[in-house]
Amino acid sequence: MVSVFDHGPLPKAQGGFAISELIVSVSIFCSISLGLLMGFTSLERNYAATSDFSINHADEMRISDYMALDLRRAISVQAATNDVTINIPAYYDQTGAPQTPTLDGQGGVFYGARGSSVRVHYYLMAGTIYRQQDNAPAQALAVNVQDFIFDMTDAGKVVTTRITFNPTFNSGGASAAATTATAFYNTTLLRNSRTDIQSSVY
Amino acid sequence: MRRQHSTEVGSVLVWTVVVIAILSLIATETLRLVTAKYLNALQTSTWQEALLAAESGIDLAIVELRKSLYPQPNQAWQGWDNPPGNEITSYELTTVPNAGLNGTPMTIEASVDAPSQLIDPTNSWQYYRIRTVGTIPITGPARASDNPQDTKLRRLSLRFERFTNGLLVAHPLATDANGNPIAQISRRIEAIVRPVSSFDQAIMSVGVVDLTNQNIVVDSYDSSDPTKSTNGLYDPTKRQENGDIATDGQLIEAGNARIFGDVATNAGTVSGAANITGVERTDFYQEPIPIGAPSWSATNSSVTSVTGTTTITADATQHSAASRYVLTGISLSGSKTLTIAGNPNGTQTYVEIYVTGDISVSGTGQIVIQPGVTATIYFAGNVDITGNGVLNSNNQPGDFMLYGIQPPTTSSEHVSFGGNSQITASIYAPGHDVTVNGSGTNGHVYGSIVGKTVTMTGVSNLHYDERLGSTGVINNYKIVSWFEDNR
Repeated sequence: MVSVFDHGPLPKAQGGFAISELIVSVSIFCSISLGLLMGFTSLERNYAATSDFSINHADEMRISDYMALDLRRAISVQAATNDVTINIPAYYDQTGAPQTPTLDGQGGVFYGARGSSVRVHYYLMAGTIYRQQDNAPAQALAVNVQDFIFDMTDAGKVVTTRITFNPTFNSGGASAAATTATAFYNTTLLRNSRTDIQSSVY
Repeated sequence: MRRQHSTEVGSVLVWTVVVIAILSLIATETLRLVTAKYLNALQTSTWQEALLAAESGIDLAIVELRKSLYPQPNQAWQGWDNPPGNEITSYELTTVPNAGLNGTPMTIEASVDAPSQLIDPTNSWQYYRIRTVGTIPITGPARASDNPQDTKLRRLSLRFERFTNGLLVAHPLATDANGNPIAQISRRIEAIVRPVSSFDQAIMSVGVVDLTNQNIVVDSYDSSDPTKSTNGLYDPTKRQENGDIATDGQLIEAGNARIFGDVATNAGTVSGAANITGVERTDFYQEPIPIGAPSWSATNSSVTSVTGTTTITADATQHSAASRYVLTGISLSGSKTLTIAGNPNGTQTYVEIYVTGDISVSGTGQIVIQPGVTATIYFAGNVDITGNGVLNSNNQPGDFMLYGIQPPTTSSEHVSFGGNSQITASIYAPGHDVTVNGSGTNGHVYGSIVGKTVTMTGVSNLHYDERLGSTGVINNYKIVSWFEDNR
């Protein structure tokens, strides 16, 4: 009797994979997939770190330029880490128009009322660096910068600002050397006489 | 014949497309990032250059102001739109080709004016206001930065120039061949400059300052400030530390001097300074303004030369014809005296004397300046004062000022001043070799000395009166206020 299922020996080309062949092929597939996954993950992380570095560097440059802008016209400076106060002349009146200065009788001039100035405050709060003029609403100069540190070295006529951040290339966190390497310096000559210390003009 | 394995070929194509797509996305994003970074860097550097341009405008204006101090013809304000009058309202548009980033043109616009609020009531000196705008075209794409804070800081003029509120002439943006505005960055600065006196230092010399070996003490006082003087006179208990010494040259022979002030050379050295309380600098440069011969339209002709005992009368009105004399020379010897007389009650009077020749006082000869008189003497020749010298009754160096008219470069002229144990005078003679002769251990000089070279002989004390810094001929302009208008 011949079974209805008995079709005789199968052709060689239509034979199934042996278990060993399956294991080898799955292993190869997994290896390649894992390699690709790791590669793309690494690429993505590197891209993210590079973007972060680039954005942070632009933030550093912007903050530094803002501070230099105010330092050049400063008449007094009080510096602390992540908290800097610069006083500039009260050049603008209430309407925002420039004022004509008045002689102070000692070889200098002042804008607005005698002894008046505009207080510019730079500070880091809740991951954002702000610049605030007097009591006006604070202006966010850079966001997501909780790892930023800015400080100043006050040498009287010359003030040097230094800004650093923690780069994210290493998943274990930035080393001290890596953070130091991000330092952005700006040395500014204060053009005006200072009121808080003895200094001359230029 | 049927082809086998067609599905395998399709799989390779799909994978290739996927990989290329992923790589393209990465490349696009990287390019976007780099482009933004490049744009940011480009705009930042252009912004910085615009500041340099604006500050250059201030320098240009100060150069013109300094030129105006020189004797005529001084070519001051040539090329500026409006020559200065009582109210300087000038502006200029200067294009410096190929001076900016990548050879882009730099535009400097400067305005100088003289507001009446900026006249010092004590000496009528006019302070000037200088406003400048420096402009640099943006060489990259005219596009605002991704970050609005960058845009707020480095204000770009992409279509319109923002500085058009009347302080300076509005200049519309230039256009390219297609009529599109060329984006630019402009920065504006306002600086206030004040005049600087010829007597801004205790000693200033074009060449060598030689204090010889007298252990001289140089300090300062302020005759107009009771906290820095007593009855307008020097008081050692109120000594100030502004007895500055400077030379355009390279050597100050201090001779073991004790200097209560700063010492400055032009890349030179200071030798023998036993003690300097201030700073010692080597970056000094200031070309002294030469004095030209007075060109008075009317003078007092009652005296035209002095060879014997003579009286010249001062006048209550400064710069009046009655107070101005032109003398061919002053030569006093024996017991001859030149008296410059004021009001008997000692009220303020003035006299200006232009000596076209030499001034010579010797023996018991003397020049007497009576109380209340402020005497200013311009001299074209040499000055030799010995004997009884000059009696300055007011004891104020600001009341006896000597100005040496600049001699030709081929001639060598001198001022030799001495005769008393106390000399109270201010000497400005940057074309003369100046020697001050004291009387050894008790030789006090009150005032300020400017010369081509300055030599102190037998002078043990030089007391600079700080009040001189707001009197006399204006010799320079100095920035006293600087502000960047970043609206």
